[in-house]
Amino acid sequence: MEERALPIVIVGHVDHGKSTLIGRLFYDTGCLPHDKVEEIRKRSAELGKEMEWAFIMDHLEEERRRGITIDIAHTFFKTAKRKYVIIDAPGHKEFLKNMMTGSSQAEAALLLVDISEGIREQTKRHCYILGFMGIRQVTVIVNKMDTCDYSRAAFTAIEEEIKRFLIQYEVEPTHIIPISARTGENVAKKGGKMPWFQGPTLLEALDGFITDESADRRLRFPVQDVYQRNGENIAVGKIETGTITRGQQVTVFPGASPCKISRIVKYGEDDVTVSHSGECIGLIVEGAELRRGQVLMNDTHAIVGDTITARIFWLLNDPYIAGSPLTWKLATQSVACTIDKIFRRFDPATLQIVETDAERINNSEIAEVRIRFEAPVVADKFSEIHEMGRFVLEAEGHPVAGGIVV
Amino acid sequence: MDHLSSLENKSIYIIREAYYRFKNIAMLWSIGKDSTTMLWLCRKAFFGEIPFPLIHIDTGFKFPKMYEFRDEYAKKWGLNLIVGRNEEAIKAGIRCDNVQKLLCCTELKTNALRQIIATYGLEGIILGIRRDEHGIRAKERVFSPRDDNFKWNYEDQPAELWDQYKTTASEDNHFRVHPLLHWTELDIWKYIKREKIPITDLYFSKNGKRYRSIGCITCCSPIDSSARNVDEIIHELETTHTSERAGRAQDKEDAYTMQKLRSLGYM
Amino acid sequence: MMIRCSGKSGPKAVVLGLDGVPFTLLREYARQGILPNLANILGHGFRLEQMDASTPEVSSTSWTSFMTGVNPGEHGIYGFMELQQGTYKMHFPNFADVQAPTIWNILGKNPSGKGSSLERRYRDAIKGTYRSVVLNVPQTYPAEPMHGVLTAGFVAPDLRKATYPEEAYQYLKSIGYVSDVDASKAISDTDVFLGDLSDALEKRRIAFEHFLEGNSWDLFIGTVTETDRLHHFFFDAAYDPGHPRHGAFLSLYKGLDDLIGCIYRKFMDRTDGDGLFMTLSDHGFSCIRREIYMNPWLKREGYLKTDPGRQYFEQVDHGTKAFALDPGRIYLNIEGKYPRGAVKPGDRKNVLNEITSGLMALEDGEGNKVMKEIRENEVLYSGPLKEKGPDLVCTPHDGYDLKGTLAKQEVMGKAHFTGMHTAHDAHCVLPGGLETAGRLHIEGLARHILDHFAST
Repeated sequence: MEERALPIVIVGHVDHGKSTLIGRLFYDTGCLPHDKVEEIRKRSAELGKEMEWAFIMDHLEEERRRGITIDIAHTFFKTAKRKYVIIDAPGHKEFLKNMMTGSSQAEAALLLVDISEGIREQTKRHCYILGFMGIRQVTVIVNKMDTCDYSRAAFTAIEEEIKRFLIQYEVEPTHIIPISARTGENVAKKGGKMPWFQGPTLLEALDGFITDESADRRLRFPVQDVYQRNGENIAVGKIETGTITRGQQVTVFPGASPCKISRIVKYGEDDVTVSHSGECIGLIVEGAELRRGQVLMNDTHAIVGDTITARIFWLLNDPYIAGSPLTWKLATQSVACTIDKIFRRFDPATLQIVETDAERINNSEIAEVRIRFEAPVVADKFSEIHEMGRFVLEAEGHPVAGGIVV
Repeated sequence: MDHLSSLENKSIYIIREAYYRFKNIAMLWSIGKDSTTMLWLCRKAFFGEIPFPLIHIDTGFKFPKMYEFRDEYAKKWGLNLIVGRNEEAIKAGIRCDNVQKLLCCTELKTNALRQIIATYGLEGIILGIRRDEHGIRAKERVFSPRDDNFKWNYEDQPAELWDQYKTTASEDNHFRVHPLLHWTELDIWKYIKREKIPITDLYFSKNGKRYRSIGCITCCSPIDSSARNVDEIIHELETTHTSERAGRAQDKEDAYTMQKLRSLGYM
Repeated sequence: MMIRCSGKSGPKAVVLGLDGVPFTLLREYARQGILPNLANILGHGFRLEQMDASTPEVSSTSWTSFMTGVNPGEHGIYGFMELQQGTYKMHFPNFADVQAPTIWNILGKNPSGKGSSLERRYRDAIKGTYRSVVLNVPQTYPAEPMHGVLTAGFVAPDLRKATYPEEAYQYLKSIGYVSDVDASKAISDTDVFLGDLSDALEKRRIAFEHFLEGNSWDLFIGTVTETDRLHHFFFDAAYDPGHPRHGAFLSLYKGLDDLIGCIYRKFMDRTDGDGLFMTLSDHGFSCIRREIYMNPWLKREGYLKTDPGRQYFEQVDHGTKAFALDPGRIYLNIEGKYPRGAVKPGDRKNVLNEITSGLMALEDGEGNKVMKEIRENEVLYSGPLKEKGPDLVCTPHDGYDLKGTLAKQEVMGKAHFTGMHTAHDAHCVLPGGLETAGRLHIEGLARHILDHFAST
């Protein structure tokens, strides 16, 4: 059976060649449909220049006019090992909102740096967000090596700078690879232009990423809804982590009441004895009347209560004023809340603390806050269980911030 | 978890979420392979009893086999089927050959849907579009708001973080839910094979041709293919690289060109 | 006598395309003093000659023959519409279907993988790399990157896709440039239509001047298409002072003359006269006496059978021997070539001869013959794409407009169009001293332009 696709995000400054790299990856893995190749060939620059691979990503009118990608485009390609879903993150400040959405689903990242430009302000911001989102697998790609004649000295210099820089963000790259997306050097194969480089090609590095299967972890089953079938209540939802076995004793939070799993129901399957993380199932239980928002667990290590400490990223242009009402959404929970304490707020690009004990949070800032709820919530620290540690804050039905529980 | 199961679970989650969020929702069933797969997923999500209606937008020009298939399975699966038609436009004789292609689609499809949404007060529609179908669709969100004029403000899309989908906000006229966004054409066929999902045999080769996508008989052209069943189609897809909608004649530019030529006395 | 260039800034050429402007009309108008700027140019060492268009003489084919300097057997464009190989499905060829490199491709050293007899001939003769500005030439959509600026002419559904590079598009957008007027209102809303033509012509002039000014160009080609649009609907107003639209007709030609004057002045400023200046049209025009519907004729004579249950040319049914495409192209429904082919390859000659004699005998109901000549693919085309072409091409006498429509039942009729293309009455204004051999043909102009650049 085919392995699950690995979602990755490609992060970097807009001019550093991201779209070109994506087009190149598609072409080198043989994943471009013939008619798209024709389209690109005809849209490309002549006079000895290579094809403009970036055209494959340029679909929206706005983009073409402004020459930049403005939204996430999900594109698929595959190597011999597995399929990849590229979540193409843009490189401009005003699109950070969209970028966070993309990163939120990625399990690994390629950080793109232009050899002649080096690390820019935007790159720093992205690094912080990658760390913030818990993306640990990051490979750094140093692009446009063709413009410096594949110079080893230039690469070595920037390699050092990158390493020093990433340490600040607690990101340890799996590899730092010199490539040229335009000529394809080191992307799918080594063309011999950089014989001094002993590391893997970009594709080899991708194939080296690990897919995270949270198999034997603590059980977290947030109830999504309850349906009535044949006089019985079936609680449906997705097992975020852990496994559920028929007959198992679990605890319902908030409230800590015990209940027993009588049956696991999946349409079309008769006798389900066990289900694993990622599966959407129905449960018939004894001892509890379940409803959406509750979480079935098999341990007591979660955070349950009416306050939580979190780190949030404010997306809205208008600033947040402490005390204003918000809605918190984590898994299937939706609870009215407010931020009653802003411990610190800082500029993610520079890591400078802008203010402590603040009254407000401005656009694109990170803040460490305390959230107070009108009813108890269930969560885990993001670093322990991702799925129960990341949330969205809404105001009037619009997402205004993304955050993680610390 | 294998790839198909991971896709299946994600879709079921989205479908159940949509049902929870919207009081009044319906699923668009075009009788094609994608929406029939989505229908299959809905049956799984709701344990065989889909709690909302299925809408078939009928332009009057669909392949006869599609109508047969629709009626057979609506009955077999106990579906609450609503057939939507823009009766005025059909009576007025709007068809693809005497009117520009875009106009025909607008009148017979888009406006028929608009009528249904208004008649039933629908807050959300579930559709089976996929990201790999065509460029602009690659930018769609799972939950996508449409305003009164059916325009999708693609520059200002709401953030979609971590399975938290934007489902409220008063200025939106209706929401579109896309549970199949992360599926590719090949995924759909492999899933059809795995689950033995019934589909109309227009997809299978006859006389060296089969339909890669089906819609109105006036606008769909078959492609050259000898694939006579699902396995052969999967094999064919794995070894060829043509974009799916190559057969569909919804080419705005050709329509524009034809209109221009006509105005100058050609055609 | 050869045109020499000063060598200071290299060779320069300015070519003005005036779509559908006949030689006879220009000569008459110039004589009547209606076109002072043109008359001035003719008085300064330039000559006006009649020229032959391509076969068929539709704009897509003719302009392509001009810009590639070869015949359709090499460039592959036989009309606005084709049938896709091995099917009856319609296809509208665009620039991607042009299989020979253009003058600007050759001058800019980017033939984009295409080859032709012209390209081979001039490949080594052109020493430098020259920049071209090409505005509104039909059959150049979508714009492909090239050395210079290009905005495509008819048909250009999307201005941005029609223009290279991006900055040129931004400029055109900012002045409200329009690639083509909406001809559907020519009769229903004539005043608006005429106003649109005049506006479009004005925008052309502004754009031409802008690119002649701001850009460093070596070759400039600018085409005006408003004349063709005017002629289709109001050619009967050209010489008839009593026609209600005669004034408007002259007025547009005045606008045209202004444009010619402006461009010529810019040319003179830039080159001190030491460059190549030309104007040309892709075909002429004459008044329509009758429209001749080829497919109904073929049906009547038993060559064409149609199935009305299908669309467009899918209607071609079993038993069909031949069908026609605009304007006078006849294709034999050969077994093996088309899905419902009925003519055996061995019978080809016989069927061709039959159809030819039948059509040559066709009269307009008043004793006048419709067809001037009918020629076979064999004599018309040469090159690797010869087989793609029609089996027969009909050239009518002036006044009989041939149509390839499937929608009519009758063989002859009349619609609201008053002007039709003619193949023999295109024009060319060229330097008096430029040596040419025999009658001018639109395919031959490219060589003169390239010679100008090769002479350095």
